[in-house]
Amino acid sequence: MQGLFIKSPILKIILGILASLGMFAFVLVVLFTEDARMEVQTLNWEGRSIENGAALFKNNCTTCHGEDGKGLPAVAPALNSHYFFTRRIKDVKFAGSLEQYIKLTVASGRPSKKNSQWAQEMPTWSHRYGGPFRDDQVNDVVKFVLNWEKTALEQTAEEDPWQCFQDVPVPCKQQTIAAVEGEAAPPAEEAPKETAGPRDPADIFATLGCGGCHTLAGVPGAVGTVGPDLTKLATEAGSRVEGMSAEEYVRESIVNPNAYIVEGYPSGVMPQNFGEKLSEEELNNLVDWILNPDQRGQ
Amino acid sequence: MSLTQDIRNKGVLGALAAIGEDVFTRITAGIPPGEFRRMLQGVPPGRPNPRLKPHSETFLLHIKPTYYHESVTRWNHTFRLGLLSTYLFFLELITGILLMIWYAPTPERAYTDMIRLLNNVPFGQFLRDLHRLGAEAMVAIVTAHMVRTYLTGSYKAPRQFTWFSGVVLLVVTLFLSFSGYLLPWDQLAFWAVTIGTSMAEAVPPPIVGETVNLLARGAPDIGANGLMRFYLLHVLFLPAILILFFFVHYYKVVHFGISLPASEEEVGQDTANRIPADRRVYFLPDVAIDELSFLMGTTALLTLLTVFFFQAPLEHIANPQSTPLHTVAPWYFYWLQGLLKVADKTIAGVYIPGILLVLLAAIPYLDPNPSRRGKDRRVAIVSGIVAGAVMIVLSWMGTPNYAVQAAAPVEVVQEMMPEEGMGPVREVGYEHLPVGTWDTRDEVEYEDPEFTKIMEEYRELIDVWEKKDPNFNNPYGLLIISQVQADLKQIDWEIHWVSPEGTEETFLKHFWLHKNSYYWEQYGPKTEYFQRIFEVMAPQDSAE
Repeated sequence: MQGLFIKSPILKIILGILASLGMFAFVLVVLFTEDARMEVQTLNWEGRSIENGAALFKNNCTTCHGEDGKGLPAVAPALNSHYFFTRRIKDVKFAGSLEQYIKLTVASGRPSKKNSQWAQEMPTWSHRYGGPFRDDQVNDVVKFVLNWEKTALEQTAEEDPWQCFQDVPVPCKQQTIAAVEGEAAPPAEEAPKETAGPRDPADIFATLGCGGCHTLAGVPGAVGTVGPDLTKLATEAGSRVEGMSAEEYVRESIVNPNAYIVEGYPSGVMPQNFGEKLSEEELNNLVDWILNPDQRGQ
Repeated sequence: MSLTQDIRNKGVLGALAAIGEDVFTRITAGIPPGEFRRMLQGVPPGRPNPRLKPHSETFLLHIKPTYYHESVTRWNHTFRLGLLSTYLFFLELITGILLMIWYAPTPERAYTDMIRLLNNVPFGQFLRDLHRLGAEAMVAIVTAHMVRTYLTGSYKAPRQFTWFSGVVLLVVTLFLSFSGYLLPWDQLAFWAVTIGTSMAEAVPPPIVGETVNLLARGAPDIGANGLMRFYLLHVLFLPAILILFFFVHYYKVVHFGISLPASEEEVGQDTANRIPADRRVYFLPDVAIDELSFLMGTTALLTLLTVFFFQAPLEHIANPQSTPLHTVAPWYFYWLQGLLKVADKTIAGVYIPGILLVLLAAIPYLDPNPSRRGKDRRVAIVSGIVAGAVMIVLSWMGTPNYAVQAAAPVEVVQEMMPEEGMGPVREVGYEHLPVGTWDTRDEVEYEDPEFTKIMEEYRELIDVWEKKDPNFNNPYGLLIISQVQADLKQIDWEIHWVSPEGTEETFLKHFWLHKNSYYWEQYGPKTEYFQRIFEVMAPQDSAE
């Protein structure tokens, strides 16, 4: 221990000066790496925000917007979508950025979408409007959604899962989605597709988004729990309402969903306009298809 | 005498030299250049000593003694721990005031301000790391200072009150460090302080405990009010108390003189203030050079540690709804956490620390032994060592290794990918986690040796817990890695086992890992940190 005690004042001064020079060298290291260091931290916290957003999205958003963010037909629009990233805010004439648009929607919801084509209206998520999220959580979800940009921009028109909103003054044309690359590309004047003959029940089931709310065994993606399990209809539909055959019951429930509400499920959630969207033949086929597991390849 | 006359008498150079000498003497508060040179050369002062003038001229030097007893200037008598504590306080003061520029104490801003400090403020991370390291060093140095004083018996008459004021300073230092803990408003801060203040709640009778708790938190739970209170404690109230007691303590130290090594005087004597002329070491220049060079070395060491070996932690934002697994107090309160695990909150959190504190403060008044010599103080020294050993054991008990283990699968996942901090999976990083479903039962070499190591570690942990936990039978683990977005992988841990009743059980936990996320450990070489920095810098170089 005694040996540690330096007696010579000159040696002490020299060591002190050397130490100070060393300190300046360390500070210089910080100085020269500081820009890169701030960049690393910025990327880091952005990455962590996306991680947090992924957890929030999985727990709160996937039931309507899908695990992959491609939306569920007639339940909630796609977010992992070329159209969404390139055209959406222009079409709704939103003045701010896409980030602000998403933030607004997450925070304050879309209460106006009740009784529209979407089975569920977007709830308010921010605690500022009665929802569960703090501001940082809203930001995290927004960052996560924005992180779909890369995959969304790689989508072709056919791959784009976007479904046009039906309640907007300027109707979205599916074709404009394809034309996003060239901003000035004129919207293709294509005649609206006339349905040639009845559509396949499986297609109807998918495009109307039934699977977003209902479970039906053997149909991929039909795992919803908002409405009753349709698999059980095959055995139970006939005995649900006295004097009604299974076919009559299912048909009535599609056309007029609030006529009979299964106990434990909410009324008024299922869209009431399916009767107008389906021809008589399509409706009959759909009822048969739902009631017969064999037809669905079960 | 006017300048022109001066030039006429001495010539231009001579006049300039006189001006230079005058300026130099004013700066050194009374030491002319010639004398200063002789000081550096180690020439003894003349009589009367011309080097005493600065002590009477300047405030900061007038509170320093003009000379010390040679024996107390030895390194191994005091280890300069008191000086170091004072220095660290001023370091904390300066870095703290700078950090206040970028900080607002509200729950909406505090955490984002931390991120902004790290992301956008040049030297922001350096300041924060240095402040945090300085705070931990200060706790350690102040404690070491107390231990040294105890072991050399320097608390004995007439220095009882010096010791008492030192105990006050130790407590204030601990509270200063702890109150700063809450300010980043992350999970670490929030839960450590929630536990800390909940001990105040245990003060009997309930009405007192509840009131103290309410005063500290500003509400039944820590929120905006609690943060503001801790902030004010941290930046105003506690530093003010510390400065006050520092001067009380320092006045006593100077007044009685630093106690001499026991071998220098007879038992019962105190000759610190009667220094024979041949044993005097003058502050100017000897002690001043010693202290200044010592502090330069300390500053360099702290800078070195901050730049290359230390990163202040910043966990997820405070979330009152989710208690992280294995919440730990700062290391200097591990012993208290250990006590809380074995005893009731009122006993372990209030009575024992309270009694310990009173005993500690009262040591000089309780110890009847006048001798400061080690061989006369066997009981005191042995009980001091026993107390230290008990503190170390209690501190170990305070870590998650003792008595708070969760269910086996939870612990396995916590070990592989902790909720906070790095862990081995984040350490190998995004690039080394191949997409797919991987099973611990497949003992194979993977393409990526880093990933093979991860799977081996996973398998070993499951084996260890299978042996430890009788409820954890025939376990195996899956690691499911999927690419959910560009640059974002989802990492699912799925552990299957059979319960003693024979039912199959599953544990599932999801994590996400972004390519750019950077998790770090508080202590250790900052290898990955510099790797990332160089990765960012590299493309810029090649563009030039």
